[in-house]
Amino acid sequence: MVAALVLLCATTAARADDDDDLPELQRMRFVERGDQLHVTASIAKLFDRAAYEALDSGFSSTVVIRIWIYPRDSTDPVAFMLIQRQALYNLWDEVYELKFDETGGRKIVKEKRKAEALKRLTSLDDLAIAPLSSLPYEQIYLLAMEIELNPVSKETLAQVRRWLSQGTGGGLDRGGAFFGSFVSVFVNPKIAEADRVIRIRSQPFYRPKP
Amino acid sequence: MRTGLFCVVALCGVIAQARLAIAQEPPPAAPPIQPPSDAPDTGLHDDNEFGPLILIESIEVIGNTATQTELIRRTLPLQPGDVLHAGDKRLREARFRVLALGFFRDVNLSMRKGTQRGQVILEVSVVERGTVVLNRLWFGTSNVSPYWVGADVGERNLLGLGIGVGFGFIFGAHGDVDGSRNQWATELRASDPSLLGSRWGLAAAATLVHGSEVYRVAGDPQKVAAADLRAFPYRRFGGRLTATYDVTALSRFSFGARAESIVTDLPVAPTLALSDGRTTAIDLHLEPGASRVITASFGFDRDTRPDPILPHAGGHVAVAAELGSSLLGGSYEYATLFARYEHYWPLLGGKHVLGVKLGGGVVIGGAPQFDRIHVADVDRMLTPRALGLVLSAAAPLDILGTRPDKPTYGDLGGSANVEYAFELFRGKGKNRVYGGDLFFGAGLWGLGEQADLRARDASWYNAMPIDIYADAGLRIDTDVGVFEITVANALGRLR
Repeated sequence: MVAALVLLCATTAARADDDDDLPELQRMRFVERGDQLHVTASIAKLFDRAAYEALDSGFSSTVVIRIWIYPRDSTDPVAFMLIQRQALYNLWDEVYELKFDETGGRKIVKEKRKAEALKRLTSLDDLAIAPLSSLPYEQIYLLAMEIELNPVSKETLAQVRRWLSQGTGGGLDRGGAFFGSFVSVFVNPKIAEADRVIRIRSQPFYRPKP
Repeated sequence: MRTGLFCVVALCGVIAQARLAIAQEPPPAAPPIQPPSDAPDTGLHDDNEFGPLILIESIEVIGNTATQTELIRRTLPLQPGDVLHAGDKRLREARFRVLALGFFRDVNLSMRKGTQRGQVILEVSVVERGTVVLNRLWFGTSNVSPYWVGADVGERNLLGLGIGVGFGFIFGAHGDVDGSRNQWATELRASDPSLLGSRWGLAAAATLVHGSEVYRVAGDPQKVAAADLRAFPYRRFGGRLTATYDVTALSRFSFGARAESIVTDLPVAPTLALSDGRTTAIDLHLEPGASRVITASFGFDRDTRPDPILPHAGGHVAVAAELGSSLLGGSYEYATLFARYEHYWPLLGGKHVLGVKLGGGVVIGGAPQFDRIHVADVDRMLTPRALGLVLSAAAPLDILGTRPDKPTYGDLGGSANVEYAFELFRGKGKNRVYGGDLFFGAGLWGLGEQADLRARDASWYNAMPIDIYADAGLRIDTDVGVFEITVANALGRLR
């Protein structure tokens, strides 16, 4: 039985490992402008067919983009940026309302066409991502990006898991409940932390001395 | 023409200012950088005023065959007639509120135009799942019970009303101990965690225990020989009613009442022959014949762990107090106070975690035996009680060399553990495996009588009723349940 359990663990671990997507390499364009480093990239693959169809559901679609810049051979980022974009279809005016919370502040625009709304949501067009002062010359860097579609707050995740882990009431036996270290949950659906998550990284880049 | 020329000149200026940062791309391959798992959420915010104002004209629920439509409607944070912005947080959370019921495999919400401009019809589409669940399995063998077997099953959505019911039964065959008999216990439970969609919940349970309690009369406390043990029969029958109130989504108060009848055939003047030749009386902490336990209780629970199954952050605090009194109609005057605290600190980007777990309690007055703290409550390397039945008489491992005759029951006990766990893997759930952790834990446990603390006849160290606890194992979180394979669990089934 123990052997079977160990085998189960090994199998499940191997299968679950398939879920852990490593960042995918994507070529990005980096430009120095003023005192900022700018990047141009596309994250269109975040939206599959279902997510694209949901754009006109009347519910908001939220895209959260986290960007880190690392020196190569290090895991300590030298710059971080968080971007939040939201799209919502106005059923009555038949127009897409797009909201961008980025470094330049908040911007709200309207788009008539769905494809255009998607394009604006998923393109990083000449985006200022880091002050050049944080990127010394001749050092090699990487940009890593994690993009979530409709992320669920940690608090909501906690609430769902907590509700599910509640039993059907206690009897006479207090048993080791107050000392025990673990809960048993046998209805155990888990909601995903986001509808979809993609992780990408750039090609290595560096700033040549002028 | 002049405008066009100006544009070209301006464009050239911009290009001149911009300098390509990747003029020379270095050849070496870069390591696959993984974004830190403790990514900050600074800047993330909910904007409840984004989008047009809408009025919910009606809510339609489809796809439910067993679950009552009204139950789903009550769960939604929205009602027909509500006016809100289309980007309101309540609309985004509605899906999760319904999913959190645990009755559905999937939930989808959509919106369509209503009869007038600005009005919308909300459609909730659900896919039901099976709600019959296996809560617990009991099986094992010990020196006083050749085998025990049992299970606890539940239905979390009785008749589609959202009411949970549970039923447990365990049978333990008796061994060679004089006075012992086959033991069995059964329990029936029902609960509604949210009465009519309110913050109030109600739980009720009835338990019947047909048991025999083993006690030592002679011999080495570290060894279990049937000749050194005796047992007496007892029967417990009673129920508990608990009302709960959710202060917040993560904090809850509970108020309970319990009534129980105990019938026992106690031995006349039981004694224990000590190794030095002396004989001492044994207090079995029960009234002879029939007695009653009537109590009132109060509890508080706050759980901030984002994932209570494989916790890597947050904490859990629980406190419970119970008072039994003849003023309530009982035969026992006593009070119990139990508390538990655990907290988890993520390390090295959240892949590792250090947890501290403290639990303890005190029993004041003349509590019945079954309400006192059992050694298996604090030492997880022993067989835990199941539905109130004690299934093993094994003594705790004497690792520290402290007091060898550690008590089986006590009125002051607790444990303090430190646990280190690291993430073996995490899945997104698409393969129905959510994650697995390897963990190592160690700590101290103690159990004693308050009288032992006031007077002792041995050195301070030798009188200490404490010892070490250690455990290691694997936890796997899956769609069908939680699997825990640990050293302590194995010891608890075989000793």
